Amino acid sequence: MSAAGGTIAPDRILHDMADLWVSLGKQGEGDAGVLRACSMTLVVAAEESDDEQAIGETLAALMPEHPSRAIVIRFRAEDQRSLAARVFAQCWMPFGHRQQICCEQIEITASDASLPDLAPVVLPLTVPDLPVILWCRSPRLFQLSAFSQLTAIAQKVVLDSAAFGDPAAALGDMVGAAAAGRGLADLSWTRLTRWRELIAQIFENRAQLANLPLVSDILIAHRAAATPTTAYYLAAWLTDGLAKIGAHPRVQFRSDGGEPAWRLSRVELRASDRPDAIASISLAAGTCAEIRAGGLVSMALLPALNDYALMREELAIPGRDPAFEHALAVAAKLALS
Amino acid sequence: MPALHAEELAPLAGEPLLQLRTGHALSVGHICRIVKGDAGARSGFIGGVASERVILFYMSLENPFQDPLRFERRVPECAMVIFGANGDLTKRKLLPALYRLAYERRLDAGHAVLGISRTPMTDDQFRGKMLASVKEFLEDSPFDADIWTAFAQGLFYMAGDIDNPAIFPALDARLKEIEAARHTGGNVLFYLSTQPSQYIPIAQGLGAANVGKGAGWRRIVIEKPFGHDLASAQELSTELHTAFEESEVYRIDHYLGKETVQNILAFRFGNGIFEPLWNRRYVNHVQITAAESIGVEGRGAYYQEAGALRDMIQNHLSQVLATIAMEPSASFRPTSVRDERSKLLRSIRVMKPDEVLRNTVSGQYGPAHIGGADVPGFRQETGVKPDAQTDTYAAVTFFVDNWRWAGVPFYLRSGKRLPKRVTEIAIQFNAAPLAIFNGDETTTAPNLLILRIQPEEGISLKFLSKRPGAGMKLRPVSMDFNYGSSFGERSPSAYETLLLDVIIGDATLYTRQDMVEASWAVVDAIQHVWDNTTFDFPNYASGTWGPKASDDMLARRGHVWRQP
Repeated sequence: MSAAGGTIAPDRILHDMADLWVSLGKQGEGDAGVLRACSMTLVVAAEESDDEQAIGETLAALMPEHPSRAIVIRFRAEDQRSLAARVFAQCWMPFGHRQQICCEQIEITASDASLPDLAPVVLPLTVPDLPVILWCRSPRLFQLSAFSQLTAIAQKVVLDSAAFGDPAAALGDMVGAAAAGRGLADLSWTRLTRWRELIAQIFENRAQLANLPLVSDILIAHRAAATPTTAYYLAAWLTDGLAKIGAHPRVQFRSDGGEPAWRLSRVELRASDRPDAIASISLAAGTCAEIRAGGLVSMALLPALNDYALMREELAIPGRDPAFEHALAVAAKLALS
Repeated sequence: MPALHAEELAPLAGEPLLQLRTGHALSVGHICRIVKGDAGARSGFIGGVASERVILFYMSLENPFQDPLRFERRVPECAMVIFGANGDLTKRKLLPALYRLAYERRLDAGHAVLGISRTPMTDDQFRGKMLASVKEFLEDSPFDADIWTAFAQGLFYMAGDIDNPAIFPALDARLKEIEAARHTGGNVLFYLSTQPSQYIPIAQGLGAANVGKGAGWRRIVIEKPFGHDLASAQELSTELHTAFEESEVYRIDHYLGKETVQNILAFRFGNGIFEPLWNRRYVNHVQITAAESIGVEGRGAYYQEAGALRDMIQNHLSQVLATIAMEPSASFRPTSVRDERSKLLRSIRVMKPDEVLRNTVSGQYGPAHIGGADVPGFRQETGVKPDAQTDTYAAVTFFVDNWRWAGVPFYLRSGKRLPKRVTEIAIQFNAAPLAIFNGDETTTAPNLLILRIQPEEGISLKFLSKRPGAGMKLRPVSMDFNYGSSFGERSPSAYETLLLDVIIGDATLYTRQDMVEASWAVVDAIQHVWDNTTFDFPNYASGTWGPKASDDMLARRGHVWRQP
């Protein structure tokens, strides 16, 4: 469905969705029927140039675990106001049964100039009583002042600071949004979960934990030319944790080069009077990481996570994430210092 | 000067200052920051011995890198000793589960597994053997050679005969070596993957050599059967307690580690809408089925002595029943949950001798021709006596004597050589009190809640819905939730869940002594009558749903077995 005259009416979209369910029901054979599933409204804000197929595939992969009403808004940099919408369904057949499970998807195309008109359209399209998550895939959109009207609808706004040109500026912008009360998530932080969990796991061992107060230096090696936000986040999280036990180490960032730029390559925690690191994690070739601590070497898989894996983790936390919010504040200070 | 151990320091935790005198020792795990005294000493001094009079600020050191919102549960370091390391359970279940935990980054980097069995083997030969087992029995999971290489560094082996008392001091010495090399913190988990007859000798040996105690924690895991009747179960517990406290004994029931069984608790106590219906006013009856399509598969000699009642109903199905019917626990702490489960098991009515044959059915499969192949009857299986009275099928009607469940029958059945392998719980609710819609019997079909434990773990709710179109015609529809597909991720195996639990020290899903004894008390009453009855076996053909008497047992109360 495409609205005539470059405008769209929420009632019309809701009506089209109702028609869609009727037609899906008719397609169902015999008693099989169609089951509608929904646990949230997921609003995706993307540039028109963004890979439409990739977004569609990511949403389709997310649906079985996080069934949602997905509203995909594709923006084009245009001064003239124009909006269009269509509705369709993402369906899958679970566990070999005949019955389909389907989720609704609404696709809206909008010009930048229409941004102020969008919030009143999106608000009535959100599913009542369920959380609204906004996944903003474009730094440009996040920085448009009118975009804040859309973010105000969402309980949580998911960004990827790796897509921002200037990491320090990105962290600054996000701190500003957080100060305005927005619940935020950053996929660059999500990429760190496995690194952080490995570090935490090392110090579950009491013998290794005993060394933790001795940490005097932290080295974080990355691949980008400029220190990426992931490195700042990790430094923030580590120094914050160490401060709780009275250690205040120096932090050194190092660029090792390579791709992808946002990826970390090594983390080391050192004591000033010891030749060997207290603990280190190095990304070896491929997806395996080597973990060294207390003379023991172990391996763990640290694959580069795609959008699906990252969003899957974020959608599992519909509320605020205090650990991230704290790390964001500390990381922004580190980046600006 | 005696050492201060963690438990002695704990009560002092609220006091910032502690005076230590020369020679005073601190346990590892406590951090002391010197604020006055030995100025040259390090901040971050942990353990060891104070060299001179110092005043210390101390605190119990906690890992500051935790994120419970995103991280999995915290897993402490430990060494796991597997008795019977060359056996089937180790190869098929334990090592694949441990490898999978390592793959998922759930184990401490210094984890260690020390296998013990009679077969002479080097560490490397043991590693090679376990590698083959992991590759063969790893289910729904990729194998990674690098992860295995790191994991295998923590695998060790010692050959030895449990009947030889020298093995236990040798084990102690080997554990000390491993602890030094792998930083296992003195924590040791003993896993008895042996014949049940060896449980007591192993526990006694560990106790005599003082291996059952140490600087860290000690835990012991035993597999069912936990005795073969109430008296032997009590004897087993008594002997285990000579070396281990009850809180250190983990009786594993892998059914409780299955996702759906755990989900029963989430379903009942995480949702407000079901609990009001979970009682005699709304529940008509409950059926618990554990069916196997296979026979005794070479275990005829063992099974002949056990039977379905002892092998399945006394443990697995009783535990499932307890989980279904228990009262809400005050918290999700192990003691709290296990107290409620135990209370429920003690509430199951113990049958009087004259009630047993009316409320139970014993069965044994006979030969059949299935799918073009001849299938032997139980008495034709290897190692089985030709006149064996063993029950390969058992069905019982239990009543739970408490206010919630008074009068509600709980039907439990388990058998071998039934039409398919399936374990499920069916909770049938009362039908609507008045049938106001015209139609056939489907318009009065009761609501049914099905909790599938295997093979496809999930939950289904059946209810009636109006058929589209003119007129008021109803049809039953099903709302399905499936673990495998709904969450789009692999469910951990029961052994992964339970191994992790015991390493963490979470006994929620393990069986406690009083629970074992309560279920034996119920089963003993039945077994005693069965032992004194001569049954006309075989009484069901392989590939059928059991003896007709089982259907009759339900029919007496107007019920029928649900066909899974």
